[in-house]
Amino acid sequence: MKKYSQTTVAIGDFSSLPFWQKYSTVDLIYVAYGLLIVVLVLASYVAGMFDLLPHDPQQINMDMLMAPPATEGYWLGTDFMGRDIYSRLIMGIQAYFLPGLLAISISLAGGVLLGVLSGYVRGKLSTVITYFTNLIDSFPRLVLILLVVAAFKPDIYYIMMVMGITGIPAVATAIANKILFLSQKNFIEAAIALGLRTRVIILKHILWYNCRALLIIQATLGMGEAILLETSLSYLGFGVQEPAPSWGNMVQSGANYFLQGNFWPSTAPALAILFTILGFNLLGDGLNNILEDRRSR
Amino acid sequence: MEALLKIENLRTYFYSRSKQAFVRAVDGVSLEVGQGETVGIVGESGSGKSITAMSIMGLVSTGPGVIGGSIHFASSRGQLNLLQDLDAYVEIEEKNGRVMSVNKDESGWQKFSERMMKDLRGKEISMIFQNPRASLNPFMTVGEQISEAIRLHTSIKSPLEARERTIYWLEQVKIDSPGLRFNTYPSAMSGGMCQRVMIAMALSSEPRLLIADEPTTGLDATIQSKIVDLIEELKIETGISTLLISHDISVVSRLSDRVAIMYGGAVVEYGPTDLLLDTTAQIKHPYTAALLASIPSEQKIRDKAELQTIEGDVLDTINVPPGCRFYERCNQITPDIEFKCATQHPELREYTPGHQIRCWRFAGLTAR
Repeated sequence: MKKYSQTTVAIGDFSSLPFWQKYSTVDLIYVAYGLLIVVLVLASYVAGMFDLLPHDPQQINMDMLMAPPATEGYWLGTDFMGRDIYSRLIMGIQAYFLPGLLAISISLAGGVLLGVLSGYVRGKLSTVITYFTNLIDSFPRLVLILLVVAAFKPDIYYIMMVMGITGIPAVATAIANKILFLSQKNFIEAAIALGLRTRVIILKHILWYNCRALLIIQATLGMGEAILLETSLSYLGFGVQEPAPSWGNMVQSGANYFLQGNFWPSTAPALAILFTILGFNLLGDGLNNILEDRRSR
Repeated sequence: MEALLKIENLRTYFYSRSKQAFVRAVDGVSLEVGQGETVGIVGESGSGKSITAMSIMGLVSTGPGVIGGSIHFASSRGQLNLLQDLDAYVEIEEKNGRVMSVNKDESGWQKFSERMMKDLRGKEISMIFQNPRASLNPFMTVGEQISEAIRLHTSIKSPLEARERTIYWLEQVKIDSPGLRFNTYPSAMSGGMCQRVMIAMALSSEPRLLIADEPTTGLDATIQSKIVDLIEELKIETGISTLLISHDISVVSRLSDRVAIMYGGAVVEYGPTDLLLDTTAQIKHPYTAALLASIPSEQKIRDKAELQTIEGDVLDTINVPPGCRFYERCNQITPDIEFKCATQHPELREYTPGHQIRCWRFAGLTAR
């Protein structure tokens, strides 16, 4: 009771409330956890840049093969070449983050462009775009990636570029559908009647105010997907190449020793993958709820 | 008096692919709105009222759209024909006065019309729609939306001043505690409030002409009358000219100086409101008479009399008959004019000054 008696607000006006009252606690926890993951990722870059790692992640130490966790100086243990798992774990995220951002940027930029063209402009162009997206969609992604890897080299940036392009149809369809849905409500027509420029209507009214939640979801899901994709490719040997660390190749190389009782070299990166993907997904979910909160319809 | 808006012989067609024929949504509409005047357009659904409004705003986007006529508008830049040079983009093949095929350079015309309408739309001609809640962006506060319009169309550019002006307009449309309402999202407002916001937004640019497309449809009866009161008040206050589109005769009779009755894409009767909606008047288009008869009067309700309807369906604008469009539903055909009614489309003729009717029944009367 006390919580609400302090301020008088017009019904529907939440802007004067402090943010922790405005939004649901669950969503705020989601976002906080997601942001924590993002901070940790950024911390990894700082650590890499200023040489704050306990060990060089690529340094082989033949005296310390398969040291178990909680060994002096190697608190997560070492792998089969005696490299520090903790340091490799920290640097491992860097195999995904920037390439993942590249993939996300490509799919969002391409998807938004095609989505707006087919949803807003429509006409014959829309049919062409549908053919194009169907074409991309019907191609098995892994085969396409293997083709690119075979033609060029197994570089994570090439892989992520392919991932970005193959992610275009999903975003384009989502945006086009959203615009079609919005044009049933006639506020777009009203905005045109108000004399707003097409540019303003598309960028501000459609994309920013009505599609941002959707785009954030796509972006955060894309980051999780990028990590998973690299992990699967590492199993095929096409992911990030040794000796550079990535969580995928750490799980892969550690798995060979898993059944011998040396569980830590693959368990640590596996858990890292789990919590990181969870973090990005929850971040998207929470932001979506916060942005959509109480406003639609 | 110089007319603010003068529509002549406006024709807006659509092409129905499945039926391989034209939908003659607006087929030769002529109208005039004087300075400070309110003109109502009344008609059943599908009579072309809304398409007329959309054509004025240049919002018709499906082909072929506007194909003929002229729309003169007295803008601040001087007299403009909004459909200027339309003929250069449209090729019409006609046979016996009926359009057989249309060839229109749609994208070229859109571009041209866009340039023409750029400074008019929203600034000199504003429009409010039915279903006000759907006309507002659900994710923007109403205050933001009104200030966006203000900053776009008036000399006020700073956000703070725009906010003040927005609150002024929210006050004008009688929204209580406008300062608090500024930050409200449309979802938290009732339909009537949303329509008030729409009106505030439309008037904030101080336009010359307001097009109200069924502004009270979809609202509660009590709210409807309040919105009508509000429009009436603002009309007196600002002296704005209004083109009011409605199928509610009571709304039109309260607000309009003149009324145009539309049927099947054409104006069938046009004149001063009191003359047109006077049930006892002798000279009256049969359709108008039938419309007026279908309004339940207090007397009829007390007597529990059956509600009167107009027999038949609204005119199929795809297969327009050669004769009078109301021929099939008309109950005032006399044997001596029947042949004409069935075969010849009557002209809109003036009988008393300012009062025009499109009917063969009065053809014998001398015009003017």
